[in-house]
Amino acid sequence: MDKTDDFEALMILSLHGDQRAYASLLKETSRFLRPFLTKRLSFTNEVDDVLQEILISIHKARHTYDGKRPYKPWVYAIARFRLQDHLRAHYSDQLRHAIELSEVEESLPEYVTETAISYESIREEVQKLPGKQATILQLMHQEGYTAKEVAKKMGMNESAVKVAAHRAYKILRNKLER
Amino acid sequence: MGNIDELIGRLAQDTVAVKPAPHPYMLSLKWMGGAVAYLFLALVLSGLRPDLMLKLHEPWFVIEIAALVCIFVATSLSAAVLAFPDLYQKRGVVFAPVLTFVLFLPVIFCAWSADSPPAPLPVHSFECTISITLVALLPAIWTFYVIQKYASTHYHWAGSIALLFAFSVGALWLRLHEINDSILHVVEWHYLPMIVFGLAGLWLGKTLLKW
Repeated sequence: MDKTDDFEALMILSLHGDQRAYASLLKETSRFLRPFLTKRLSFTNEVDDVLQEILISIHKARHTYDGKRPYKPWVYAIARFRLQDHLRAHYSDQLRHAIELSEVEESLPEYVTETAISYESIREEVQKLPGKQATILQLMHQEGYTAKEVAKKMGMNESAVKVAAHRAYKILRNKLER
Repeated sequence: MGNIDELIGRLAQDTVAVKPAPHPYMLSLKWMGGAVAYLFLALVLSGLRPDLMLKLHEPWFVIEIAALVCIFVATSLSAAVLAFPDLYQKRGVVFAPVLTFVLFLPVIFCAWSADSPPAPLPVHSFECTISITLVALLPAIWTFYVIQKYASTHYHWAGSIALLFAFSVGALWLRLHEINDSILHVVEWHYLPMIVFGLAGLWLGKTLLKW
């Protein structure tokens, strides 16, 4: 389907309650929205999450489309709105959990040179950490990479790796102290 | 991808025939019709200013009322378009209130210049703002209720413009009801609070119109 008229026709059928037309309209819509989201988001699971939110929003707002104007601008307006919502929530969450880098740099060497507990003895606990944190600790402490090398390997910047490692150490320390 | 297909399947199963929302101009017309009827009723109940016929011979008073009516029409159109996620692909209409407010400023300035010697300030002050607010309450609730049933992607602006629409009804009512010739009083206690409430609408829109 590449003729824009088809989208409008499908939407009109959908508004009349045609379930098959609606399903194929949503499928086509998700097909052209995916590259739009992929360009703007870094992780595949994020793309899927936002795409789902957009499809639900299209469903909720379908009565605001009457088939008398192009379909795509209507869909993109909803998509941009939901994407902005997602990004706003994402960045405000990051800010809430932000840590001063100076605080991290002071405490980091202490943990890195810690020898009382070996990596092997806490391997299970490390694996329970959120995905990125577990990978960072594994690379740094099992495979011996430096923070800089881990950053390069994971496509992150060095400070972000240090922050993630610091958080992981905090979680581990809390767990081990219990 | 599996989740997406599953979701599409569920949404398609859920779908039933839906009546499309009316064109924003029809929606706006409905709001304006309701507001005019409400204004008429409010003026019947509270009474027109006794010197209205005399005032209608003063050009700046007539121009001021006409400018207020323009704000009333423009805000109603703009709020209706803002209720749609894609602004009904009529982005220009959204900015209509900006134009009317830009025109309103020189009108007020000229009315103030023509008010010479200046008319005495009335003894009351904030009572006017309260009266306008009370009269604007019902149109505000109505417009917010209707917009909330749509899907505004510009909820801040939708809230702000909806409040300006409601307050333009209040401002029109008071200008046609109150015996007052002081343009300074009108600016201070009628129009400036209206702008302030319009700004408060940005927050109210976020609170009430987010979906």
